[in-house]
Amino acid sequence: MVENSKGLSDQLWRVFSSMKLGLALLGIIALVAGIGTLIPQADMNPEKAKAVGQLWQTLGFTHLYNTIWFRLLLGLLCINLIVCSIQRLRGIYHRTFKLTPPAKLVQVPHKNRLEVLGEPAPLQAALLEVLKQKGYRVTLSDLSDTWSFIAIKHRLGNWGSVITHLSFVVLVIGALLGSVLGFKGYFMENAGNTIPIQEIQLSKGTVSETFSVRINSAEDRILPDGERDNWYTDLSILENGQEVARKTLSVNHPFMYKGITFYQASYSDGARFTADMNGKKIPVVLQDQVQSYFQAPGTDLYLVTMADPNSSAQKPSVLYQVYKGNGADPIQSGKLTSGQTIDVQGSYKLTLEGLVGFTGLQVKKDPGVAVIWLGCVLLLGGLLLAFYWQPVVISGILQSENGNQGTLTLGVFSGKVTVSTHEALEHLVSSITKKLR
Amino acid sequence: MLENLETALFYILLMTCTLCMLFYWIWLGTKKELVGRLATYLTILAVLVNTAAIILRMITSGHPPLSNGYEFLLTFCLGIMAVYLFAEFRYKLRSLGAFVMPIPCLLLMFIIMSMGPEERIAQAVPPALKSQWLTFHVITAMFAYGAFAVSFGLGIMYLLKASQEDNQNKLSPQGIVARFPSLEILDELAYKVVGFAFPLLTLCIITGAIWANYAWGTYWSWDPKETWSLITWIIYAGYLHARLMYGWKGRRAAWLAVFGFAAVLFTFFGVNYFLPGLHSYA
Repeated sequence: MVENSKGLSDQLWRVFSSMKLGLALLGIIALVAGIGTLIPQADMNPEKAKAVGQLWQTLGFTHLYNTIWFRLLLGLLCINLIVCSIQRLRGIYHRTFKLTPPAKLVQVPHKNRLEVLGEPAPLQAALLEVLKQKGYRVTLSDLSDTWSFIAIKHRLGNWGSVITHLSFVVLVIGALLGSVLGFKGYFMENAGNTIPIQEIQLSKGTVSETFSVRINSAEDRILPDGERDNWYTDLSILENGQEVARKTLSVNHPFMYKGITFYQASYSDGARFTADMNGKKIPVVLQDQVQSYFQAPGTDLYLVTMADPNSSAQKPSVLYQVYKGNGADPIQSGKLTSGQTIDVQGSYKLTLEGLVGFTGLQVKKDPGVAVIWLGCVLLLGGLLLAFYWQPVVISGILQSENGNQGTLTLGVFSGKVTVSTHEALEHLVSSITKKLR
Repeated sequence: MLENLETALFYILLMTCTLCMLFYWIWLGTKKELVGRLATYLTILAVLVNTAAIILRMITSGHPPLSNGYEFLLTFCLGIMAVYLFAEFRYKLRSLGAFVMPIPCLLLMFIIMSMGPEERIAQAVPPALKSQWLTFHVITAMFAYGAFAVSFGLGIMYLLKASQEDNQNKLSPQGIVARFPSLEILDELAYKVVGFAFPLLTLCIITGAIWANYAWGTYWSWDPKETWSLITWIIYAGYLHARLMYGWKGRRAAWLAVFGFAAVLFTFFGVNYFLPGLHSYA
């Protein structure tokens, strides 16, 4: 029984230590991710996603990147990366710190080899000096009968690959932290309103915090040249009704409070009215260009409003339309300036109090973000080491026949790039011969 | 005034690009040193004109060249030609020009054919694009995509040469392809170029994620543009591993370099024209 389970774990280890498995997983992930861009996804295009066949919806094709099986693929890839990395650690450690000089000529790399002739003592001195100049770390052989060495440059480059692979695991951990401990939501509110954080619309996670957010002002700022500067929201955080923080945020300049970040996501103009129904005054706030309307109580009259292009700061105005029942065409429409009162179908009187900004804020708590940035740093650092800091390992052995004339055979480990490592060897040899002259 | 100069520069760039492509082709056929030199000089000229056009655009619009497809295509062309020129000087590989230069040429033609003047003018940038991270995002994309275009050219050369070597007996050894560098050199060079570009593509995706986190509150939202840049990344990751795997060095790796660039183009064009998403600028 014990033997069996050992056999099984060995087998699993072998399966997961295969680079082919890793590449196959990557290929499948790429394919699945690509399919996800062709099928409408529920979180980006909810209406179209609902129109996709039921079977596909059940299989998760409309929320592909959140499905169990997509996460399973990422999980398998993580295991694969960890196993591969562990498998390689020993070898990398030895190739970096425990290099052994060749004891025999055959141990000098064959593919990239050059020979230098000369008297042994000056040859050794020249070689060591050139290696030192070029930044190599040299290890000399401790054997008494042969003089040999091994030298390495850019030795930390050996670690690039492992760091890169493990950074992916760090990224997945960061994403996991965010999806387990975080939340994501959105709210749109007009200036002057206060909304408890518990009541915002959530698309992911749950909110445990209890503070409220007050929108002090919302502004769409236009530069003198007509270009949009930015959208600005001045908001306050209220704990038990007391203001504890206040900040003006804008697109690309979020605001963070207790690990929860507020992002300016959208903006919309709107207007404040008072509807007077037989002396009963009802405050109305309507937002432009969305399904925001006012249905006067007890009537089937629907009031909508939109920004007036000729509105000015001195004399703000809006355009309005009144629809009756399910009618497609408005039964009353026109322009209303600030302070002006009109009669709506004899049912109520409408006064424009002024314009008001609506701010759309994305609210997010993601404790995994720091881990994600750590993963990014590792990923990039690993790649820079692997591709911009490639190690060069040169070894050689000096053989002399009568003590006067020696042959120094140098070889370089070519790794993945044969041609340029050969160039490095040629440079080394030409520097040595220059020294000897 | 400056705008007119910029338009003039664009047409000069298009002409220079077309000419140097033709000269590279003629050189490939005739091996006349004068023609080859002319092709190289014209490429240098094209790089200068392209740089000038981008700088002028930045002066007139007051922001980095990223507000629309036209601006990014100009940057993309500059990236391709700059990386190519470096490769030509560093590795003395002029025949590569015949396979790389058609790419900026086609991109510029694409601008003429599919983008009206109103699509080319400098546009105001929406608040979301006002971020320093974007400058890095575009610079890294420029060099990464440029280098991938060069590796695409090398991949095509490899495949041509490899298929000719298979049919060695039927073809005369004096053909154009026979004068290409050896398969080993082409393969290794493509690997180096991808190795140069891969960390840059990674940095491009990371700077994009940092910016998205500032602007939208999510570092990764599986937007089609993001997803396709990840797919491109995976294809090149596959390429880099391919040579470690028995039997995948050489021809299959060359195909991956070709597919990788197809994915680069799809990330740019396909996503903008076929798939909707957040990243609708360039």
